[in-house]
Amino acid sequence: MMSEKILYSYTGIFDTPDEVTHAAEEAVKQGYTKYDVNTPYPLHGMNKAMKLPASKLGYVALIFGLSGTLGALLSLWWVSAIDYPLVIGGKPFFSFPAYIPVIFEVTVLSAAIATVLAMLFFFFKLPNNAHPLHATDYMKKVSNDKYGIVIQAEDPIFDEASVRKFLESVHAKDINAVYWAEEEITHKHKIFEPKFLTFLLVVVILTSGTTYFTLNKLMFMLPFNWMMEQQKQNPQQKSLVFADGFGMRKPVEGTIARGFLPYAFKGQPDLAGEKLINPIPISKESLQLGQTKFDIYCSPCHGYQGEGNSRLRGQYPNPPSLHSEKVRTWSDGRIFAVLTDGQNVMPSYSTQLSVDERWAVINYVRALQRALNAKESDLQ
Amino acid sequence: MISSSVEYRKKELPSKVQTIGLGLLLVGLLIVVLGYLVNPERSAYNNIIGLTFLISIAVGSLFFVTIEFLSGAVWSTPFRRVGEFLSSTVWVLPLLFIPLLLNVNTIFHWTHPAPADKTLIDKAPYLNVNFFIVRVIVFWLIWLLFYYLIIKNSRKQDQTRDQYLTKKNIKLSAIFMPLFALTISFTAIDWLMSIEPHWFSTIFGVYYFSGTILAALAVGAIFIVLLNERGFFVKGIHTDSYYSLGALIFAFTNFWAYIAFSQFLLIWYANLPEETFWFLARWEGNWKFFSVGLIVVHFLVPYIGLLSQPSKMNPKRLIFMSGWILFAHYYDLYWLVMPNFFKDGIPLSWIELGFPLLIAGLMILVFYYQAKKNNLVPIGDPKLKRGIDFRL
Amino acid sequence: MSTIDYTRELSVLEGKHALRELDDLIAKPLETKPDKKFYIALAITLSMTGLFVLGLALTFYYGIGMWGNNIPVAWAFDIVNFVFWVGIGHAGTLISAILFLFRQKWRTGIARFAEGMTVFAVMTAGLFPLIHVGRPWLAGYLFPYPNQHSVWVNFTSPLLWDVFAVSTYLTVSLIFWYVGLIPDLATLRERTNHKIKKVVYSIFSLGWRFSNRHWHHYEMVYLILAGFATPLVLSVHTIVSFDFAVSVIPGWHTTIFPPYFVAGAVFSGFAMVQNVLIMIRKIFNYEHIITVDTLEKMNKIMLLTGSMVGYAYAMEFFIAWYSGVEAERFAFLNRAMGPYAWAYWIMVTCNVVSPQLFWFKKIRRTIPVMFVIAIFVNIGMWLERFVIIVTSLSRDFLPSSWAYYKPTLVDGMILIGSFGFFFTWILLFTKALPVVSMAEVKAVVDGAQPSHKEH
Repeated sequence: MMSEKILYSYTGIFDTPDEVTHAAEEAVKQGYTKYDVNTPYPLHGMNKAMKLPASKLGYVALIFGLSGTLGALLSLWWVSAIDYPLVIGGKPFFSFPAYIPVIFEVTVLSAAIATVLAMLFFFFKLPNNAHPLHATDYMKKVSNDKYGIVIQAEDPIFDEASVRKFLESVHAKDINAVYWAEEEITHKHKIFEPKFLTFLLVVVILTSGTTYFTLNKLMFMLPFNWMMEQQKQNPQQKSLVFADGFGMRKPVEGTIARGFLPYAFKGQPDLAGEKLINPIPISKESLQLGQTKFDIYCSPCHGYQGEGNSRLRGQYPNPPSLHSEKVRTWSDGRIFAVLTDGQNVMPSYSTQLSVDERWAVINYVRALQRALNAKESDLQ
Repeated sequence: MISSSVEYRKKELPSKVQTIGLGLLLVGLLIVVLGYLVNPERSAYNNIIGLTFLISIAVGSLFFVTIEFLSGAVWSTPFRRVGEFLSSTVWVLPLLFIPLLLNVNTIFHWTHPAPADKTLIDKAPYLNVNFFIVRVIVFWLIWLLFYYLIIKNSRKQDQTRDQYLTKKNIKLSAIFMPLFALTISFTAIDWLMSIEPHWFSTIFGVYYFSGTILAALAVGAIFIVLLNERGFFVKGIHTDSYYSLGALIFAFTNFWAYIAFSQFLLIWYANLPEETFWFLARWEGNWKFFSVGLIVVHFLVPYIGLLSQPSKMNPKRLIFMSGWILFAHYYDLYWLVMPNFFKDGIPLSWIELGFPLLIAGLMILVFYYQAKKNNLVPIGDPKLKRGIDFRL
Repeated sequence: MSTIDYTRELSVLEGKHALRELDDLIAKPLETKPDKKFYIALAITLSMTGLFVLGLALTFYYGIGMWGNNIPVAWAFDIVNFVFWVGIGHAGTLISAILFLFRQKWRTGIARFAEGMTVFAVMTAGLFPLIHVGRPWLAGYLFPYPNQHSVWVNFTSPLLWDVFAVSTYLTVSLIFWYVGLIPDLATLRERTNHKIKKVVYSIFSLGWRFSNRHWHHYEMVYLILAGFATPLVLSVHTIVSFDFAVSVIPGWHTTIFPPYFVAGAVFSGFAMVQNVLIMIRKIFNYEHIITVDTLEKMNKIMLLTGSMVGYAYAMEFFIAWYSGVEAERFAFLNRAMGPYAWAYWIMVTCNVVSPQLFWFKKIRRTIPVMFVIAIFVNIGMWLERFVIIVTSLSRDFLPSSWAYYKPTLVDGMILIGSFGFFFTWILLFTKALPVVSMAEVKAVVDGAQPSHKEH
């Protein structure tokens, strides 16, 4: 145990704001640097008396405000124009005027929070309830109606006698020495204290328990589940209404789906090749549609170029190349028959591709064939 | 402390000011007259811009004077005469609106609506030539009356130092407030909005008001800072007073942006054809660049220029930004008026120069003669001493 | 009234005060046990809050079918209450931030209390959008976070702007309030001998030491916060007005809505502050801190904002006629002469006519009269939102769907309950924290600042 007290500072008290301002000016003249003035409220002109440089906190606000602006702008742009573009109210994906409110709010929020946190924790190094000035008579007075000056022992020109003399010379009252309290110096806060660890453990158990209960139990209880438990027929569910017990019903006999056209050449590919004519003229749009659909449905087996280089690594038989003499000389209608009916191990694609899409795929296949078997004349 | 302890010795403005004012006025007048001879319609549109610009300065300055009485502000008291002198340009307003009233039929197409244009015929009870002329003259008389009453009391106080006059002016100012709100709004509707009579916007009066205050503050700031730096007011005025002026300009710059953005966003968002066509007209041809330029000129530049605390106190910066804001207000009015005349874009020419020069000359001359006749500082005002001692 | 001497600045406080007395006076409610009246008041507000809880429980259990809302009036009391309470909050920020920037010293006596009111009013308001969705436990989806649906919120929707605006407003108001409280909490920490209180005050005052090296930054931050709070408070009610004005519904889509809503919000907020302050100054003997001069200035602001609101009503009517658009003209005629004409005319009387009485100095300085007028203003401003929302919706573009909206009992319970919720917080606040800022009031006492003599 240490027995000798360590000096923190000398303090003096004043009754009027004029006196303390004068004392601060004198302290600057004496060359003290580690000193401070404590007043129950800010005094006008004190910053000038102490010759304090202008506060830098404005820059904190500016920097964090601007980063808020920029951050909000970039994330809104990324969300609405890149990650999840959605047409809303006929406006462009990136509707800047509509983002200004949110950008503004984020700017204010980040600047306000950052400035206050910076002030409290970086500029003031608060919270600090262990400061030697706390729990002194001096603090009681300056928190109420007196004004005080503190000259710290750390000051390079600190000397007990001269400081005392200085304080007397500016007519300070209650000149006192303030010491560090012992536990403030000796006490060490350990992170691995059992109490703290138990506290952490309790917090962890409580948080995870509540989260689990809320998400997995509570949301399935009344009334939270009222939207899940609705009185309606779900797919694949047994029906109590119909005698056969099927919940999913077939359409009434003879119903025709919208846009459905009967296919007259089932099982007659050659006839289809003779009779069917491609109704879709070659255009940029049709080729692009064809490419999209070809890449989705055909390319896994036929390859992106139609050369029969399957990506299925032998799990399904490789088809022949689409650039063979045979396929190149087939009419569009003949290929249409393959897409519609299937051929050999290739199944029908009539459910995946609409009639127009099939023709578009054929146009695209033609373009592929032309590209891989270019003639001399194409170069001109 | 009583106000009589303020020491003020009247200093004459150099006669150079008169020469400059007269020169600007004559050159401006020459261009205007030539413009009217060469292209009367275009000149008439320019005339509207000039008129509304001068109303901004004259009535805006009067507003500035009354606001000082109402709010009990003291920092502006030593400078109040600047506002008073500038508001005396109310007298010369007829110079600008009489040629327009003679030409109503060429500028406003609501004066002769097409028979099929049901909307315009519907609006005839408000938009007709007689009522229009009555409104213009009545509004002018209202401004003139309050200018006369308030300024008379203020001048009288120089001799009598009677505090009761301040009280009287506070009352007059309070009565002027609602009248000001109405006259300025309807001036905006009449002269600016009704050029495109199918378009409507409830915020339009407030929009013009925000520009009005900015322009009045800016002219005031130029005169105040120029004269104060040369010691024409009293000694002991601190730069903290400049700060108040700069902060007000800054605040109203933001206010203008707020109002302009609100108007744009609501119309853009709702996308109703009866409203959007007005903005679309300002998006044709090179109007597009002019419209984007408005944001830069009227908001971004003054905002950045006056953001920091020291820049609001710096006399040079304050004069530059005030000049800039005057330009911005003229730019704004040009943007409001001219797309109705040049549908596809702006061909700038010398005709546009006439009115700005004319108005600058008028302002300087009026100020010069007022300053010659009167004290530049309201020496009888009870708040004067406090105004000089003003610190943040 | 004696004539005012314009050569001197009016002092904020009445009479001479020693700084010590001010501390004692302000801290008194915190250091004495609450009396019977307090418990009676608390019992009333708590039972009203009970009504609130009951109304909400019914709503959440059975769904929002418990309310009177039905197509075409899909928004009614829920949104009316939301806009009303957000508006109440605006006065606090106006007093603490805007008047601070304008260096109006008379604000010091009322700023703390008004800021507290802002926080509680925004808390109350913030509940209503959640109540309005009917299933508030799903409201987490309103926040843009990368979720399991890989969907983002709609940033072009004004309802989402509301989420940002109201949450920012609440956060910044709380920060502003707390920053102002720190020195006072430190003063209380030094005053108290109570062990638990001392610990609580020590924690929340963060070990504030009244150091001038701190005050120096502190004043800067206060200025910055005021600078941010000012446009923020404008933006909040502006965004609330966008909820209506970006639509194409006649009576909602009007470009003057943003400034008009802000003026209305300040108007109603001042009325509420006025009502509560009149009681507070009486109960706690703060007549010398919250002076009649202060109340008179508040009345002047109410006259100003009330007239601005009146201007907006008139301009809306004029432009509705001037526009020549039939739907616009109908919407406004319907307001004044349709089935909800009663609401419209009560609103005009309360909001536009009654504050005009403040032109008379006598009335501005008579406390009972201003109390009644402030209540009228609150009623009028609540009805204003009702008029805007309900009349515009009840007669939309399709006459076959027109309907007359009537609130249900549950609607009434939630409305009354929200007042109970708000006033419960206010009552607790008056006993838990100083309702007047000690540091700020001490700073404006005569002789509290150095005299500027030459040095």
